Amino acid sequence: MTATEVVFYIIAFFMIAAGLGVVLFRNIVHAALALIMALAAVAGVYVILSVEFLALAQLVIYGAAVIMLVLFALMLTRSRERPQAVFGKNRPFAVAVAGGLLAAFIGGIVATEWTQPARDDIEPVPFQEIGDVLFSVWAVPFEVVSVVLLIALAGAILLSLPDDEEER
Amino acid sequence: MPDVVLSEFAGVDLPAVVDALLRIVFIVALMTVNALALIYLERKVLARFHQRVGPTRTGPFGILQSAADALKLMAKEDLRPTSADRWVFELAPYFAFVPIFLIFVPIPFTQTWIVRDLELGFLYVFGVLGLNLVGVVMAGWGSDNKYALLGAVRAAAQAISYELPMLMVSVGVVLIVASHLIADTGSAAGALNLNVIAGDQRTTPFFLLQPLGFVIFMVAALAELHRPPFDTPVAESEVVGGYFIEYSGIRWSFFFLAEYTALLLLVLIASVVFLGGWNFPFGADAGLGLQLVLTLLKASALIFVIFWSRAVMPRLRIDQLMAFSWKVLLPFSIFQVMANAIILAYNGADWIIGLTSLALLVLLAGLVYGRARLQAGEAARRLRLRPARPRMITASDVSGAGGGSGS
Repeated sequence: MTATEVVFYIIAFFMIAAGLGVVLFRNIVHAALALIMALAAVAGVYVILSVEFLALAQLVIYGAAVIMLVLFALMLTRSRERPQAVFGKNRPFAVAVAGGLLAAFIGGIVATEWTQPARDDIEPVPFQEIGDVLFSVWAVPFEVVSVVLLIALAGAILLSLPDDEEER
Repeated sequence: MPDVVLSEFAGVDLPAVVDALLRIVFIVALMTVNALALIYLERKVLARFHQRVGPTRTGPFGILQSAADALKLMAKEDLRPTSADRWVFELAPYFAFVPIFLIFVPIPFTQTWIVRDLELGFLYVFGVLGLNLVGVVMAGWGSDNKYALLGAVRAAAQAISYELPMLMVSVGVVLIVASHLIADTGSAAGALNLNVIAGDQRTTPFFLLQPLGFVIFMVAALAELHRPPFDTPVAESEVVGGYFIEYSGIRWSFFFLAEYTALLLLVLIASVVFLGGWNFPFGADAGLGLQLVLTLLKASALIFVIFWSRAVMPRLRIDQLMAFSWKVLLPFSIFQVMANAIILAYNGADWIIGLTSLALLVLLAGLVYGRARLQAGEAARRLRLRPARPRMITASDVSGAGGGSGS
């Protein structure tokens, strides 16, 4: 095993352990913290694949911002008083769907005949090229995504406004 | 990339693992010494502002005071509230500390003294800086203490709000660097590299081209560091001690270490990005020792300004603080980026950028000053405080006043 593989397996171990933590922790804040670990591990995989730009974007966007929102929501919804997850009568269905999906994904990965064998060397894409393509070829989708985010922002403000006219 | 620290001295090629370990040891030692020195200096500087003398008893000029404090902290019992969330509480100091430690990686102390010369160094700094919040929120939530939770939520809200203007003014600098790089080499590659940014300031440091950017960066840095006048997350009179109120001993000192390390890092970044780092005014030919001294001198000057602002400014209320970021700093930083982009798109000269930024800064200062005057006037009216009118002293004042013989 090369050093890269050793590092990869360490990261993969953390990612799987954290991923299991996300679904198995009873305390929802612990689950959210495990989610941060899992997302950070994904950033580590990006580094191994020599796409540092994606790794940093992963850290900036998921590592900090989204998780912050998750933690805020948890803290402000009194999760501390009711930390137990609720198991409804749909639990067998959920287990069946999750197990089926897992089997389908693993089966798909194993059964696919990959046309190219895995290569030892990786050609890193210069991040400048990513920028060029993002703002020229894919400029319109990029703008659409930013408009979606703007709408979400406006919606959040609208929702948080008090209903009562006088209170505004 | 010949980013070799120790081989330069020893003259030997060290194995990669040994080299990496030595770099880590160097940074850890630097962090510890820095925290001890800054705590001592802060107490001394603040004391002078208060017309006191500060610590004097421990060693000559009280110079060993921080070392004594550190020893006391290590000997202290490591307490944990029974109702605290055990693992979240115990791991929080490390989650707050490790991201700060990681930010050292792309900082160019001199042209070649860099732990690792990262192509995306500037983006890396902001990516890792945000992770520090996870530790803060873990500490606040895990302590099971109202004040700790309030402090953590305040810290998170404040950090998210002030990171935006900081990022925007950084984009303004990167735009200028990119335009210079395109003019020189035809490609903007490397504009996010902190070493390249410092290398671009041979004659004009960026605080001349981006005065508004520099000011906004420093104000946002004060808020990120929970420094007065933006220290609401750790305000003693409001939330007692903030998010680390329940900590003691070695875990508490981890939070302190993280705060002072972050202080050093942000002023280092500010001095590299806006004050020219190792490059201004002597350039790359100056000896490495001189470059190091230049970087640290600039950083020290900024640290002094930060201590200074602690001594002279009253704390903002949390609502004033949030409003200042979202309604004042963020719009102005966006104006700055737009102005830079438009001027550079039409191949405007650097001095036009500098003048535009200066004009925006004057506008910002005028707005803040006018608003402050207005609010002070309102407050005075509410409290019925009016300046006393001068009037003539009459004979009845002199003869009638029994105890008024003070003049």
